[in-house]
Amino acid sequence: MRLSSLVKQANLRYGHPGMSNPVQHVVIVGGGTAGWLAACLLAARLPGRKITLVEAPDIPTIGVGEGTWPTMRETLGMIGIPEAEFLRECDAAFKQGSRFDGWHDGSPADSYLHPFTAPPPAEMHGLASAWQAGGCAGPFAAAITPQHAVCSANLAPRQRAMPDYAGALNYGYHLDAGKFAALLMRHATNRLGVTRIAAHVTGVTRAANGDIAALVLRDQIPVAGDLFLDCSGQAGILIAGECGAGWVDRSDVSFNDRALAVQVPVAPGSPIAAQTIGTAHEAGWLWDIGLPTRRGVGCVYASRFLTDERAEEILMAHVAANVPGADPASLKPRKLAFATGHRDRFWIGNCLAVGLSAGFIEPLEASAIVLIELSLKALAENFPQTRASMDIHAARFNELFRYRWDRIVEFLKLHYVLSARPEPYWQAQRAPETIPARLAECLALWREQSPSAWDFPRVDEMFPAASQQFVLHGMGYPVPLSDTASLRADSARLSEVTAKARALTAALPTARDYLDRLAAQAPAARIPA
Amino acid sequence: MSQHQILNSTDHGQLRIYTEAGAEFGDNVMASLAMPAEFREVQAHYPIVFRRDAETGKLAALALFGFEAGENLFLSGSTWEARYRPMAHAVQPFLIGRPAEEGAAPQVHIDMDSPRISTSGEGMRVFDDAGTPTPYLEAVATMLGDLDYAWHESPAFFTALEAYDLVEPFSLEVTLDNGSVQSLVGFQTIHEDRLAALDGEALAALMSEGHLAQIYMVLASLAQFGGLVARKNRKVLLG
Repeated sequence: MRLSSLVKQANLRYGHPGMSNPVQHVVIVGGGTAGWLAACLLAARLPGRKITLVEAPDIPTIGVGEGTWPTMRETLGMIGIPEAEFLRECDAAFKQGSRFDGWHDGSPADSYLHPFTAPPPAEMHGLASAWQAGGCAGPFAAAITPQHAVCSANLAPRQRAMPDYAGALNYGYHLDAGKFAALLMRHATNRLGVTRIAAHVTGVTRAANGDIAALVLRDQIPVAGDLFLDCSGQAGILIAGECGAGWVDRSDVSFNDRALAVQVPVAPGSPIAAQTIGTAHEAGWLWDIGLPTRRGVGCVYASRFLTDERAEEILMAHVAANVPGADPASLKPRKLAFATGHRDRFWIGNCLAVGLSAGFIEPLEASAIVLIELSLKALAENFPQTRASMDIHAARFNELFRYRWDRIVEFLKLHYVLSARPEPYWQAQRAPETIPARLAECLALWREQSPSAWDFPRVDEMFPAASQQFVLHGMGYPVPLSDTASLRADSARLSEVTAKARALTAALPTARDYLDRLAAQAPAARIPA
Repeated sequence: MSQHQILNSTDHGQLRIYTEAGAEFGDNVMASLAMPAEFREVQAHYPIVFRRDAETGKLAALALFGFEAGENLFLSGSTWEARYRPMAHAVQPFLIGRPAEEGAAPQVHIDMDSPRISTSGEGMRVFDDAGTPTPYLEAVATMLGDLDYAWHESPAFFTALEAYDLVEPFSLEVTLDNGSVQSLVGFQTIHEDRLAALDGEALAALMSEGHLAQIYMVLASLAQFGGLVARKNRKVLLG
């Protein structure tokens, strides 16, 4: 064999940065929210690369993720979907945070808000101290952000005349997940040049190094690619089925494993809530998400502590008591069983899991969609130019998302451990052996010092100090004493918040009026289906 | 048509007002009344001219936004391209009402036929759910108070102008870039020569009443005609 052909072979085998094995073709498996968000974001952020999405023609999407974080505004802006089109096409409404009813002691007055708008970190502790020094007059969130007043009045966070994705307050969305995936699909295929293949994946072929070389499809020719995204949902057909990722079970900390979901039509003109409402019950909690035409209500529970029949009773009683004009007898709840946990590795070789294929936990803080966005942000901003760097990116990604999952599990647990509810389920939630060590440590620290960036130091922390404080003080955890020197200035800041709240509640329309006016507007050119 | 009502939280508890600029909200006007007390702010943006009421013979000051009826060259879509709007215009659709009895406090009235009255659920609330005035209404009330005070002060200014014979007819003819001629007739302005000829005693009297500075504000404002003509040229050019 001649030397030149040996060199050629070596290059093929070991890669040659910038020259050989460039990552040109990304193949996505699965067409739910995760798959189509991935297709849109990668097509928009990585021009010049080829994006193909393979989805089975007859598998319905799970569609539980109906709450987004404020990050979705940046995502949609980056993808290039006008806000009015998004709101109209997805039957969407504004989400300005989450309200937790009955989590502390279950009494009628027991309610707190975790809003999306927080004061700057430097001011948070001072405001909290001033609020406590003033005898904790009114809810914690009302004292430190005008968003509390805006949410209480069911107002929109913005006016229609504002530029797209701008607001007077920070906000995300409630949406119809099925319509959202459909909008993203139209946008990806018609405007962003993504190729869609409707086919069942029956297997893969392998490269010499063990990478996935191509997807084998039923009745169609195989699809080769350089990087494969597994967006196949809980099945994880690539990441688990082909690449052998292990499962890290988190049900020892997070007990809930069932949900009963219904969609209840609402009367025209009825108020649309400005936040997700999570109401605690004897062995779990209920979600209540308001869209313009319907409310999505679900009962989340732990099968260890509650029968399905009792869960349905709780769900129907909640609907009857909270949705005016609803007819519970006409509703057929959909039952979902889920395992709480995540993969031990999310990125193996040239396969990355995004969405439910990576992991699942109860939707208490709507972490599903934001995890998709964060995964794609990490990928797009650290995209392997060639196969040569892929293992380095994979190792970093795995470390980062193991960190994120740990923080999610701990933050959700925080909602339970501060409760004083007496039921066996709630007592079990507080059992020390079910509390992650790092959370227990933080709780001890937070007796003496407020949560801060020392506790949450990484880029794009999902639940920074302010989030922790909204839950802590919403649940009655005391604010650590600060030096009193600055209390005077901080008290003045408290009255600025009140003044801002008055101005905003006067200027903002109700979410119902905003969305009805928007629906009445002549729609802009719709993307053809 | 206008329908004036006394503003109150019972009838107007849910009322919302469109506060943005726009022709659809009645901003397509060529002028607004301007009070001598606000000449300092007005002259920074608009020419100030006087007009004599045909029946009463009384003078009033106007800030000019355009050259013909219905033309506001500062209006661009929903933007008013100046930082200050004369109080009499900015305070719409609110106005001051005076009860019949002598000496009673003035009231806030509202013109319910104004296009600024919102029925869409969008716009600025006047009262909150508890019936308390919103910060917006507080600001409106403050401006109405300022306007009322300025309105009562302004006759002294015009009396002084007449006493010293400082008013003369004013007309303007400008040739626009496209060759057409734009003219303004029927207005009055300060007679600069007579102003320059006033003796020290007269100047001291005008100064002590605060009128002298306002007179010079009117003179300075005439420089804004240059800007107004430029706006007109741009409008003609853009069709």
